[in-house]
Amino acid sequence: MARYGMLIDTRRCVGCFACRLACQMKNTLGPKEGFVHFEHLETGAFPHVDAEVIPMQCMHCEDAPCQHVCPTGATHTTEDGVVLVEESKCIGCKYCMVACPYSVRMIEEKSGVVEKCRFCWDDELGGPNNPSCVATCIADARIFGDLDDPESDVSKAIAELGAQPIAGDLTKTKIFYVRG
Amino acid sequence: MVWGPLIAVYLFLAGAAAGAYLAESFISFKYPTDKKTRRWGRIIVPVLLGVGLLMLMIDAEAGFKNPLRFFGLVNNPASVMTIGVYIICMFMPISLVVAVLELFHKNVPRWLDIIGDIGAVCLAGYTGFLLGDSLGVPLWHNSILPALFLVSALTSGIAIVSLLGFLGDESEFEKMRALRPIHIVATILELILIALMLFIAVGKGAAGAASVEMILSGQYAVLFWLGLIGIGLVLPLALDVFTAGTANDHKAGALAVEASGHACVLVGGFLLRFIVVMAGVTMILF
Repeated sequence: MARYGMLIDTRRCVGCFACRLACQMKNTLGPKEGFVHFEHLETGAFPHVDAEVIPMQCMHCEDAPCQHVCPTGATHTTEDGVVLVEESKCIGCKYCMVACPYSVRMIEEKSGVVEKCRFCWDDELGGPNNPSCVATCIADARIFGDLDDPESDVSKAIAELGAQPIAGDLTKTKIFYVRG
Repeated sequence: MVWGPLIAVYLFLAGAAAGAYLAESFISFKYPTDKKTRRWGRIIVPVLLGVGLLMLMIDAEAGFKNPLRFFGLVNNPASVMTIGVYIICMFMPISLVVAVLELFHKNVPRWLDIIGDIGAVCLAGYTGFLLGDSLGVPLWHNSILPALFLVSALTSGIAIVSLLGFLGDESEFEKMRALRPIHIVATILELILIALMLFIAVGKGAAGAASVEMILSGQYAVLFWLGLIGIGLVLPLALDVFTAGTANDHKAGALAVEASGHACVLVGGFLLRFIVVMAGVTMILF
């Protein structure tokens, strides 16, 4: 079994939002809906200032707080470590949304179901199908792969660049960030 | 803000139902012969809870559109919401049976009443744990809320039961004053627990501090200071203490003052949930 995860290098991210758009297209989301959103940070004092764009999406936590609170079991984790929402079980109580410390879940306007990044999970394939945010990134700021395989691109990059979870040990995330 | 006013209404009604059940149980234990007052208090419990549950269902849009999905609510015993469903599944039928027995002037067996009391305590407490298990909202993520909501449920319940007594029979309303010492202690406890909750939240990073700021000096400050603290807690407390010396005052004016004190408690009970829910800022990471 794989344990899927992602690296996001904010030093490479230019804030073009192509990942959000590609995600919206692939997951047929409305213009105001998105599984990816962005945090804009300005640091330092003039003249030594820096700007950073941080793409945020479901961290696919191993100890997912959303799954812990979900009363119906709609939120579950696949054997490959991908956290998914089973639409036919979700009542839209939004408990997962108040439990998630990263605010990366959203309500689908049409159905009232809560959704989020699923690493482009494909039911027929039984696994992630070439996540569109990674495929579309113009700056190669994203790498996706198997965290358990030390030879995968993502594992090597995490080790080499010292990538870290976005908020320390808040939860055990499977998205790792490289920041300037 | 993910959870809104509908959730606040539910939290209030569930707490009030639990509190009313407990207060009614206490009165029937102390004055077993006074049936008139007790009757309406017991009948209103499942009504309050039922209306509250309706709010929850309306808020859960995907379930509201596909009601069969609500049966899935029992699936995850690790979720406080599922535990709450178990508690409601136990308390609701008991309160209904008790209400029906009361409606047909039958005696409620003591053992059933006691099981209902246990259910009522669990119901009021769980509403606090429900918010308390939300890692993403620092204002809620503490262990004060269950105690705070339980105490507030008690004061709301006493207020409802007392008001129903007032509407029913004046002589029996007098007996509701047996609840007054409980109400005074609970109100003081509530003030302390509110202060504790805010102290804890301040120490929980930017979002916790932002919540406290909203409550003490921001957009909910008027509701908090004037509504919750002033009208909801201090005024009824002052009335309780003030009227304590005139326990046998039969003047209609004195009773009206007392009744409005109870109405104020209910305003406070709702405002507590409303402010806590609405000022819940999600975690600020950057």
